[in-house]
Order: sequence, then C-alpha cells, then structure tokens
Amino acid sequence: MSDASVPAVELRDVVKRFDDVVAVDHVSLQIAPGEFFALLGPSGSGKTTTLRMIGGFELPTEGEVLIEGEPQGYKPPYQRPVNTVFQNYALFPHMTVAQNIAFGLEMRGVPKDEIRRRVGEMLNLVRLSGYEKRRPHQLSGGEQQRVALARALINQPKVLLLDEPLGALDLKLRKAMQLELKAIQEQVGITFVYVTHDQEEAITMADRIAVMNHGRVLQVGPPPEVYEQPRTLFVADFIGETNFIPVEVLRVGSTVEVLTAGGARLQAGWAEPSLNAGAPAVAAVRPERMWLHRPNTAPEGGPWNRVEGIVRHVIYHGLDIRYEIHLAGECSLHVRLPVGRGDADVFQRGEHVIVVWPSEATRVFRRDS
Amino acid sequence: MTASAAKVARQHRTRHWLRRGLFVAYGFLGYAFFYLPIVILVIFSFNDSRSVSKWSGFTLRWYEAMLQDHQIMVALWNSVFVAVVSTLIATVLGTLAALALERYRRFPARLFADITLYLPIIIPDIAMAIMLLAFFKLSGIGFQTWKVSIAGLRLAVPYSVIIGHVAFNISFVAVVVRARLAQMDRTLDEAAQDLYATPWRTFWRVTLPLMMPGVLGGALLAFTLSLDDFVITFFTSGAGFNTLPVRVFGMIRKGVTPKINAVSSLMLGFSLLLVTLALLAARGNEDRKIQMF
Ligand SMILES: Nc1ncnc2c1ncn2[C@@H]1O[C@H](COP(=O)(O)OP(=O)(O)O)[C@@H](O)[C@H]1O
Ligand SMILES: [Mg+2]
Repeated sequence: MSDASVPAVELRDVVKRFDDVVAVDHVSLQIAPGEFFALLGPSGSGKTTTLRMIGGFELPTEGEVLIEGEPQGYKPPYQRPVNTVFQNYALFPHMTVAQNIAFGLEMRGVPKDEIRRRVGEMLNLVRLSGYEKRRPHQLSGGEQQRVALARALINQPKVLLLDEPLGALDLKLRKAMQLELKAIQEQVGITFVYVTHDQEEAITMADRIAVMNHGRVLQVGPPPEVYEQPRTLFVADFIGETNFIPVEVLRVGSTVEVLTAGGARLQAGWAEPSLNAGAPAVAAVRPERMWLHRPNTAPEGGPWNRVEGIVRHVIYHGLDIRYEIHLAGECSLHVRLPVGRGDADVFQRGEHVIVVWPSEATRVFRRDS
Repeated sequence: MTASAAKVARQHRTRHWLRRGLFVAYGFLGYAFFYLPIVILVIFSFNDSRSVSKWSGFTLRWYEAMLQDHQIMVALWNSVFVAVVSTLIATVLGTLAALALERYRRFPARLFADITLYLPIIIPDIAMAIMLLAFFKLSGIGFQTWKVSIAGLRLAVPYSVIIGHVAFNISFVAVVVRARLAQMDRTLDEAAQDLYATPWRTFWRVTLPLMMPGVLGGALLAFTLSLDDFVITFFTSGAGFNTLPVRVFGMIRKGVTPKINAVSSLMLGFSLLLVTLALLAARGNEDRKIQMF
C-alpha cells in the first residue's frame, strides 16, 4: 500500500482565509510515508490550521490536500484515513479508557472480540494495561496523553496528526514522552505530522521540519540542515541561539564579504540571494561556533573571521561557560566555550579578547526578512 | 498584656460577635419572611377546624376531602397531563433550538432568533397569555380538546393550553441546555468525527450524553413551570377547564378553607421534589465539568 514514491500527505498551494485573516498562505508540502514530520512555528503561525485541513476539520480556501495521492476535496473527517491527537486530548469524559480507545473501531463496525483484543494490545503499547475501567478524569496528564495516542493509533491510520501533544505536560514528563512517542512511531511505522512551537522538540524528534511564520512555510529540511543552514533571518532566530551582527554588504557572489559597524571585514559562507553590494544586512553565527583568544594568540590569516571585543559577562553553566562580548558599535556576541580546558582559557570580565569563528559558519540575511 | 491591649481585644471580640449575631438574625429574618407563610399554610392544612387562624388539633380530613373532591382530582390530572405532554414537546424543541443557536453560530438572523427565543422569558405572562389567546382565536385552533381517560377520570384538555405551555417552556429549556452546551468542549465532537463517527452518530454517542444533565434540568424546570402556571392556562383554556392552580383560584373566591391549604401543600410538595431533582441534575453538570478538564 505505502508506495514510497507517493507522498503520504501532500499540500498543493494551500491557502486558508478566515474572513480577512490569512491563516495559511500558499503552503506546499510533501510528506513521505513513515516520516516523522514536524510543523514548527510560533503561536499563530498557522500550524493548527494546516493540520486541521489535513484532518478535514477545515477546508482549504484554495489549493488541494492529498492523502496517499488521493485528493481529499470536501471529504469530512470521518471519511479520511487519518487520525488526530488533539492538543487538549479531547478524551470522552463519559466513557472509560477502554471505551475511548475502542471508539474508532466500533464506529467502523469491527467485531467485538477483535476490538477487545486490539484494545488490549494498544494498552500494552502505551503501557496502560489495567487502566481499562478508569475514566479520563482519574488519569494524570501523561496518562491521558497516552490514551489519546492509543485511541488514534488503534485505527492504524495512514497518517497520525498530532497538535502540540505534549504541550500540557511538565518539562520532565515532556522529555520522557518525546522519547516514548518517537519509539512508538518507529515501532508502528505510521507517518506522523507533528505540530509544535518548541524548536528543541522538533529538532530532537522529527525526520524533517517545516518552519512556519505568518501562515507561510519558510524552510523545509532535516533538523541539522534547518539548524545549520537557515535560509531566512526568522529561521535563524527561531531555531537555536544565534548571534546577529548588523553589517553592510561589500561583495556577493562566489565569496561574500561584509563590513561591521565597528569596521571589521567578515567573510561569509552564504548570503541571501536577493542581497546586493551596499545593502544593509545581518550576519548570523551560532555561539558554539565561536572561540575566544587573547590578542597575542589569535590565529592570523586562514578561513577565519575575527572581531575585537571586551568581556562583559562570564556565566558558568556547568558543561560550558557563556561569555557576553561587547564589540565596538553597540553590538554584543554570545560565545559558548566548553569547560575544562585549563584555567588559562578562562577569560575574565573586562578582558580584551578576539572572537574567532570559521567564515563558512557565517550566514548573511536581509534585515527585513 | 497591658490594660489597653486587653480592652482593644475585648472590643474586637464584641464587634465580632455583634457582627455574627446580626448576620445570623438577618438570615433568620429573611427565611422567616419567605417561608413563614408557607409553613403556616402547611401546618393549617392539618388543622382540625374550619378556622384558618386557630389551631384545634391534628387531622388528615382535609386531605381526604381533597381526594374525594372530583373537581380537584380532575384538575390535578389535567395539570399532570398538560405538564407531561408540554414538557416532552418543549424539551425536544428547546434542545434543538439550543443546539442550533450554540453550535451553528454563523447563520443569518441569528440575533433575531436569539431575541425571539428569549422573549417568552422576558415579557409578562399576561401579555403572552393575551397574545396566545388572540392567536388561538384568529388561527381557528380555538379551544378544541384532547379527550383522554386517566385514573378512571375523563379529561378534556384543550390543545391550546398545551401549545401555550410549550410556547413558554421552549425558552426555558433552551436557556438551560445552552448553558450546558456552552461549557462543553467542542473538540469532543471533532474527536468523534475524527474516529469515523458520522454527525448523526456523534450526536447520539457524544453530544447528547454530555448535554443530558442540561436536557434533564431543562425538562424538570419546564415541568415545574407548567405545573405552577396560572395566567397562561387561565387565558388559553376557554370555559370549564381547570388545572390545579386555576381550580384553587376558583375555590379561593368562595373563601379560604383548609382544603385549599391541603391542595396548596400538595402542590408545594410536588414543586419541592422537582426543584430538588433539578438541582441534583445540575450537580451532575458540575461533576461532568470537572471530568472534562
Ligand atoms: N476559526 C478561526 N477563525 C478565525 N481565525 C482563525 C481561526 N482559526 C485560526 N485563526 C487564525 O489563524 C491564524 C493561525 O492560527 P493557528 O493555525 O491556530 O496557529 P498556530 O496553531 O500556529 O498557533 C491565527 O491568526 C488565528 O487567529
Ligand atoms: Mg495551534
């Protein structure tokens, strides 16, 4: 059934408007069978609306939703081969755990014996055996979450839609459930479309991430690619920690060169294609790519960028030490250095330092993007 | 402890008890104001004398007299019949109206539908009664009766009375059911549809069971209001039809007797029972709410 060449879910130029609000703006996506696909973006970026259009709870204003190559058109939710884990779980309060989980099979007329057997299997899978007779309000948040998952998975959908399924759990439980969800997904092999506003969650769980903002998909790719090669300022800012240095573009093309407000020339590995020489821009560098040197030990030449600065703050974080470095021109950088390289490498507040990083780790963006 | 501190403490204590005492006294007065007449009425329904002001011993003879009074018994069963039938109809229609207004928020003239639905609650009974009367006259429905036998009694209940009761009860049922629907989580319906339930099955398996406390509460309220109604029944029944309140009104014009006290106590007991049930249904509401979140 799962022909690898046919996407499990495809969105073709989908637009959704609510009156004058454009919730989803010309989104096209292809999600492969068995993929763990994350829709990542801040609140209000259109993630839920996108998910609801796949589930059939909203119909696109324009464009098309296909599931396993089949256009869904006006199909209502109960005719689509997908199931949903809702943000607040939406467990039926008047039914027991077993009745909740059995609901989908019952609606499809599966024989009673088979339902009983499969409910048992599901309870096993989510480690809730013995909870059959409980009511949802007698369960903890994590347990409710697992019932919601079992209730959806028992139907063996082609695609499982999850809307911030861990959002209501506390941090520790959320971490544990991330691993558990990922393990379950690998075990059942069902395509997951997973909505979250937590970039860390998306990075650790997903095979691919689509970053959304203002209803648009800005970038799609595997987590390392999205993290290391953000293509817009928004993506660079939203995912992980980033240093931004205001610059002016000197040269674009095969090599990119920019000038900081403090007068330093920087080489960059990549610049947004629409940038031209003379344009105001922002150079972005991840803090963990940077190193600090004392002025006399800094490397000369080579594929490195260097700027001078003064240590403003030193914050000890256990695994690493974070420095805030003040640069000329009212700009500061955050640098993360691993702990344990000897006392000589610990810098003091007020010390004069050179910040060094590989030029290929520098990406230049338009200021307005 | 210094003398002045002791004095301040004493003052505080005095003020505390004064406040408490006043509060309790006020509560008692309030209750007395509302319920003393009722208590007196109930007590004097057991008074072994025609006098309604002097106690002369306990008796059940007024209740016996009531049971033997053919007209009272007919009125009683008329009341029950009208209440049952109008409650059933009003509960179905009121629930549907509540669903339409609460669930399908976007339809033309929704505000108009809202207002017309609440109108019967707001306008005075007498105005509604006269409008209904005019309606039955003009529409030709008139005062035709529905003939039934219950408990060995032949009843002739005007359709107009039943329609009148339905007309005001729809509003009350709709208000109660809407309150319930408003606090229900709509994603539950979506979850059911996500799990392959058609809208029809979603309604029976999820929506209705969850809104049931509201429906029951609305029905009990409608039943109570129907039993208690005087004005609308009086105006829409034509000649010779009595419900219990209308009958009591007829009797009272010939003077208050302990038999009226007995009938009134009976009605009171009925209403009390229904209100208790309605409150219990509402309590069910609360429990469900906790379950839902
Ligand atoms: N039913 C609706 N009616 C009107 N506006 C809506 C509706 N649903 C979502 N929106 C709007 O669409 C935008 C995207 O919402 P949503 O998809 O819920 O974002 P997210 O899930 O990323 O937080 C928001 O501006 C939101 O206010
Ligand atoms: Mg959302």
